[in-house]
Amino acid sequence: MKELAEWVRDEAMKRGVQFADARIVESAHTSMSRQDGKTDRLSQGTSVGIGVRVLLEGAWGFASTNSLTREDLRKCLEGAMEMAKASGARVAEPGVVAEVEPLTAEVVSDFTIDPREVGVDRKMEVVRQLESVAVDRVGPHLANSTAHYGDSVTRVIVCNTLGACVDQTQVRTSAGVGITAIKDDVRQRGYEHRNGLAGFELAEGIDPEEVSVKAADTALMLLDARRAPAGNFPVVLHPSIVGIFIHEALGHNAEADHVIAKDSIIEGKLGRQIASQLINVIDDSTIEGSWGSYEYDSEGTPGGRCVIIENGVLKGFMHSLETAAKMGVAPNGSARAQGASSPPVVRMSNTIVSPGESTLDELVKDIDLGVLLEGGQWGYVLCVKGQYTCHAGWGRMIRNGELAEPIRDVTMSGTILDTLKNVDAVSKDFEMLPKGGMCGKAGQGMYVNGGGPYVRVSELVVGGQEQV
Amino acid sequence: MDDLVAGAQRACDAAMQAGAHFADVSAYRGTSLSVTLENGAIKSSDAHESCGVSVRAFYGGGQGWYHGDGIDMEAAAEAGQVAAALARQADPDPDFVSLPEPADYEEVEGLFDAAVAGLSIGRLIEHSLANVDAALSVESDAIVAGGAGAGSYETALVNSLGVVAAGSGSSVSCFSRVAIRRGDEVGMFYDFDYGRRLDDFDPQGLGARAAEEAAKFLGARDIETKDLPVVFGPLASRGALMSIASNANAESVQRNRSFMVGKLGEQVASEIVTLVDDPLIPGGMASRGYDGEGTARRRLTLVENGVLQTYLHDSYTAGKAGVKSTGHSTRGGIAPSNVNPVLGDKTADEIIKEVHEGLYINAGGVHPNSVTGDFSSSIDFAFKIENGELAYPVKKGAMGGNIIELLKGIDAISSDCREEPGSIMPTVRCRRARIAGGA
Repeated sequence: MKELAEWVRDEAMKRGVQFADARIVESAHTSMSRQDGKTDRLSQGTSVGIGVRVLLEGAWGFASTNSLTREDLRKCLEGAMEMAKASGARVAEPGVVAEVEPLTAEVVSDFTIDPREVGVDRKMEVVRQLESVAVDRVGPHLANSTAHYGDSVTRVIVCNTLGACVDQTQVRTSAGVGITAIKDDVRQRGYEHRNGLAGFELAEGIDPEEVSVKAADTALMLLDARRAPAGNFPVVLHPSIVGIFIHEALGHNAEADHVIAKDSIIEGKLGRQIASQLINVIDDSTIEGSWGSYEYDSEGTPGGRCVIIENGVLKGFMHSLETAAKMGVAPNGSARAQGASSPPVVRMSNTIVSPGESTLDELVKDIDLGVLLEGGQWGYVLCVKGQYTCHAGWGRMIRNGELAEPIRDVTMSGTILDTLKNVDAVSKDFEMLPKGGMCGKAGQGMYVNGGGPYVRVSELVVGGQEQV
Repeated sequence: MDDLVAGAQRACDAAMQAGAHFADVSAYRGTSLSVTLENGAIKSSDAHESCGVSVRAFYGGGQGWYHGDGIDMEAAAEAGQVAAALARQADPDPDFVSLPEPADYEEVEGLFDAAVAGLSIGRLIEHSLANVDAALSVESDAIVAGGAGAGSYETALVNSLGVVAAGSGSSVSCFSRVAIRRGDEVGMFYDFDYGRRLDDFDPQGLGARAAEEAAKFLGARDIETKDLPVVFGPLASRGALMSIASNANAESVQRNRSFMVGKLGEQVASEIVTLVDDPLIPGGMASRGYDGEGTARRRLTLVENGVLQTYLHDSYTAGKAGVKSTGHSTRGGIAPSNVNPVLGDKTADEIIKEVHEGLYINAGGVHPNSVTGDFSSSIDFAFKIENGELAYPVKKGAMGGNIIELLKGIDAISSDCREEPGSIMPTVRCRRARIAGGA
């Protein structure tokens, strides 16, 4: 495989490109789903493909194929060159790539139990047990139960014309359970999962008390919870939503490709106070075992710890080889691609708000009427507009300085520049989520995770269904 | 395409020879070109090609799936064997009855256009840059992003009862997104066009329209929290109405995890709402004569005068319910095809003029919770309606409610609409939603 990537790179050099990289991705996965007492869907798959990027006279082209014959590799390279020539029709700022010391590396992510060596029946047992504990917990209120397991082993070899050649294999595992509970014709669902850059030991090591019981308890709690209020409130964000919050409220705007494209509301604000002094945000791809972690990005640049905000001041962005060159900084390994058929794009990894000094009690006691939101489920951002949205799975009312009745799932929305300045308290707790998610950008999904303390925002729009 | 059919057949036979009780196989091959623009210039042009096979084997109703890249005979045979072996390890499911039998399919016109398949990257770039220039002629300092793409594919579907279905398809699209900055304020909007056939594709004017609309979103203000009538514009109404269609999913209903349980024959929208699911619309984006499993598809009325007429089935859920499959299998899931409302008799302008105070949603989704039907959605692109006019853009906000209550409150559907291949997108007014604002 490596020889093929090197051959494509060499052929590109012979054709006088400014830069090129050839990235071969080979992947195998196993997954299974269980529902209402039967693991009746087992799935496996393999894929292989190559993505070739070419920079020719300042213009970019990309081509991909999943046939790795020499003939098809040559056609793929020529396709990428044809695309680059076509892109030359209008280039605003010629493409460049940071000159870095060429790196050669061969790495495999850490795992204890190789999932490829574990039989299907042992994986089915994990799923069976996750479901069974949850079903026992929800008791007579059971409407539906689901559980899943998945693992993937992906090898990416990227070779480029700067001389770098990185061969990285990553093993990821995930498992989870969902319970729909019912009472008096009201249905609610609770869902928990665990995942990471890890082997089968992650799935087998899940404590069903933490995951299955929690999923069932969440569903039961939601049955009796009231609908959330509608309005503009002080909001305390639980660590389980702070990761999604900072990802949407800041992270995408700090991806350097958005900044260069004038798509970012924080363009031109490097070195300026853009947030409350209590805010410190880093993006760190080195966190051991986390779903969003990696050693090298999809361009072969080592990942690392990127300080985005320090005491409220914008300190840096996440970069690819190109954005780093354009901004005159060192690349920091944030260019990631979903697979061979997608070019690398600047992405986050594990995005974290650092803990502060307050206690949760201190955050809550100042609030006459507000909400605590938990269980981040999804979110999105309109970068250029500077507006983001996060959806919480559940929460609590806050009344007269105390946590009050539970509330159901609700969306909160805010404008980025206002929200960051309106963070007025950060707790000293810290929780790194044991379960990452998938981020969507440029039509690609990517493994990401987050974490943080409790964060209080003095006002956010909460889109509930009820009056207060 | 013959090689795809042969490969799919080989995989199916191999699964059956390895002991599967039933099997179906989907094989495909596709190519596409795309151009991505940022800040008024080309970021990259891309070319893709891929092929693959997906085998689904059944043993006692338990399923084994295998996905691979190879469509040659050897790879296909191995794929079939792996899927069958997995099926034998899966837990059996006695509710599984059968896969579809062979049937006659309606020929749907306009799914493949050689002119689209033959579009060059140069032509896609011309369309995109023309839109950039048009946007800049409206606002010279606009930030214009966008892109265009075109592709074609061939597919083959084979199953162990003798279904053999093959076909090709094409698609082309173009979009422009324009942002206008004035200090810390940003006005932003977008426009797009798409189709399967070149005759249905009209990318002219997207850039100019997007720029004109973007400018209207400057000067946004916060609104108060209150209950208001909501008028969904053509780009927003589709999402609200489609949520009934995508949640009329028989699998979710049978599994008792859907807000649509018990709604068959019940009011799920106001009396003026009739929704038709039509997979046979010529050139429609979701059109095809057969579903993902090879069940023949036909037009059906999903909601009539607000009453839910049917759930959407695949062969498995139909077998469980003792009904015929409605032809909505995606082979592993269930989804509607081209779902469209019957239009009303007032124009969009007339509908807005009747609103004393309300909200006009230009674009954005509703996203109800599939278990409860409650929604809590961010207001992304909207105007405050005052005295029958779009008074000012809304800075931020959210909308909450229950999707069935929202749709039962529909009191007007426009007679005019935006049309895209397979879709008609009218303006729809709902009596009330709970609006949360930043004021």
